Amino acid sequence: MAMKKSDTAAEDITGDLAVETFGVSKSYGQVRAVDEISVKVESGQYFVLLGPSGGGKTTLLRLIGGFVRPDAGRVLLHGQDVSNLPPNKRSTSMVFQSYALFPHMSVEKNVSYGLKLLKLPAPEIAEKVASILELVGLKGYNGRMPHELSGGQQQRVQLARSLVLESDILLLDEPLASLDANLRKDMCHELKRIQEQVGITFIHVTHNQEEALTIADRIAIIADGKMIEEGVPKEIYERPRKKFTADFIGQNNLIDGKIIGIDGNHVTIDLGFATVTVPRSEQSPDKGAEVTVSVPAEMIEITKEAPQDNEVSQFLQVVYEKETYLGFGSQHQILLPDGNGFVAMTKSSGEPFRLTHGDIAYVVWPTAAARLHTS
Amino acid sequence: MQDDYGSIWSYRAKWAYLLALVGVLLAPVFYVIYISFNEYGFAARIYEFTLEWYVVVLGDKILVASLEWTGYLALASVLSSVPMGLLAAKFYKRTRHKVAFVTLMLLPLFVPADIMASSLLVYFKNLNRVFEGLSDALGSELFYGWFDLGFLTAWIGQVLYTVPYAFVVILITMSRYRDQQTEAARGCGASAWQAFWQVEFPQIWVGVASSCAFVAILSFNEAPRTALLKGGFDTFANVLVAQMLNIGMSEESYAMAGIMSILSIAIIGSILIYSMARSERLERERRVKAQPLMSQ
Repeated sequence: MAMKKSDTAAEDITGDLAVETFGVSKSYGQVRAVDEISVKVESGQYFVLLGPSGGGKTTLLRLIGGFVRPDAGRVLLHGQDVSNLPPNKRSTSMVFQSYALFPHMSVEKNVSYGLKLLKLPAPEIAEKVASILELVGLKGYNGRMPHELSGGQQQRVQLARSLVLESDILLLDEPLASLDANLRKDMCHELKRIQEQVGITFIHVTHNQEEALTIADRIAIIADGKMIEEGVPKEIYERPRKKFTADFIGQNNLIDGKIIGIDGNHVTIDLGFATVTVPRSEQSPDKGAEVTVSVPAEMIEITKEAPQDNEVSQFLQVVYEKETYLGFGSQHQILLPDGNGFVAMTKSSGEPFRLTHGDIAYVVWPTAAARLHTS
Repeated sequence: MQDDYGSIWSYRAKWAYLLALVGVLLAPVFYVIYISFNEYGFAARIYEFTLEWYVVVLGDKILVASLEWTGYLALASVLSSVPMGLLAAKFYKRTRHKVAFVTLMLLPLFVPADIMASSLLVYFKNLNRVFEGLSDALGSELFYGWFDLGFLTAWIGQVLYTVPYAFVVILITMSRYRDQQTEAARGCGASAWQAFWQVEFPQIWVGVASSCAFVAILSFNEAPRTALLKGGFDTFANVLVAQMLNIGMSEESYAMAGIMSILSIAIIGSILIYSMARSERLERERRVKAQPLMSQ
């Protein structure tokens, strides 16, 4: 089979591979939910599929779990082709978004369901159930019915039901989406703790970037059925290679322009109303190419006085619009000379901000903080 | 449930309308049951309670035989129509062409009973000829008379009639079932059958049981199809209709109608009361035990 080389293949993977997909595709009618995605997940890794809703990440997870059959491509688990095997023949188990507990069974029966299918002796089942309920913090809840549990507890039961099977790959489909913000944060750390304790591979689908950055060893960005890029959280957040990633992760300002000069590791870009210099990164752009520059909002400083022209920082003259107070800091709306909006974030300093609506101001950022995107 | 800003009288009026409607619809049925317990039958000046007519009906060998035949037909219909309705409901949940599927499933209900019965009659006659031709071609009598009018043809007619009802009744219960539970069971290592039997069925059995009761009742109530397709036996409804057409409503006829009505109301009423009691109990348990959904 001809393989499409992924733009973002994880070349730095060195360990055993738990999951590999090779150009998997899945369509529903005219909609191409997953479009030739190739991904590699190392054993024991916490891998997150992150992207906007409807981007295809859940379908990719379901392809790995065997809940849908790929139209094209292959799925390998520990090197074995499982593309045509149903879910009960794969070494995976799944945690669903909407709990999916069996409502007519108690917590104990839910957790022991898979073990009974394996026909394990009753004492062994009881021992494993007790141990896993303790691991997920639900010791003593054996007799409770699902409707007697809170959302977080139901999700823990689901986790226990999957973990008790000792499958070496756990698939989690938006497991925290139904929980409130505080509980989601707690459960994030809880999931990470459990994953480190049991040492198996977790593949977690979410549209929440904070959740992904908190929990992941590696993140793959999925949108429009395609793999956009993949990397460790810090790399994805601080050095996004793709324009889409820069737009989706964090709060980046995107400005379109044209390359007018390439000088060693730096590229000069004409924005139409000003020129700026950005690091070339690993991109190989041509002079005259249409590109996009992303500047993280939290790296921007706003001043009233024109800064000194130097190599280590870039600046633009702007019109100040308004400040929105966010508690830990403020968000500033700014207008670029071409009429497009620009956003800067500042931390609360205790001192009153001096700019008001309509003031001419300057936004300044370190040259190294901006990113160049050719696609 | 009354809306907080609505008039209490409007709310009561809706209930009064509903009860009046049900009363009007069921009044003739209750009247027939009432007459069936009168020693002196219909239009008598004196009313004296008796079970005599029921004893007469249940002592009549022809009527008891027709009851037995109806029972067999009901059992065969339940055993075939309910699984078929269940499969159809499962398919409905999977298909993307839901409107087309429901239309096709319910289409037999829009054909008048007499038309459907006579069409089936012609169909079975022709099918018999085809099978006889096949037998002749093979030089054997193996396929002779397979579709002669009898229990099989009456059964097929009954299945055509009851499958759409079974489908709708099961679908109502099944609509509350979340397919993710089946996927969760498969993810735990269950086969498709184990996931259905151990996880899905316990949650939809009320619908399946209701469907069984409904199909059985329909088998007791149905007359036109079996009249044309039954061959050499009579069902209870056929005997009742024949009696009414030939000698008018006798005391035995009232008792026969009474048996059918009381059985139907008892079965449906039991299911209704059980479902309401169960739902009430679950709601009470949920209120007592449930913690706020989004708290730890």
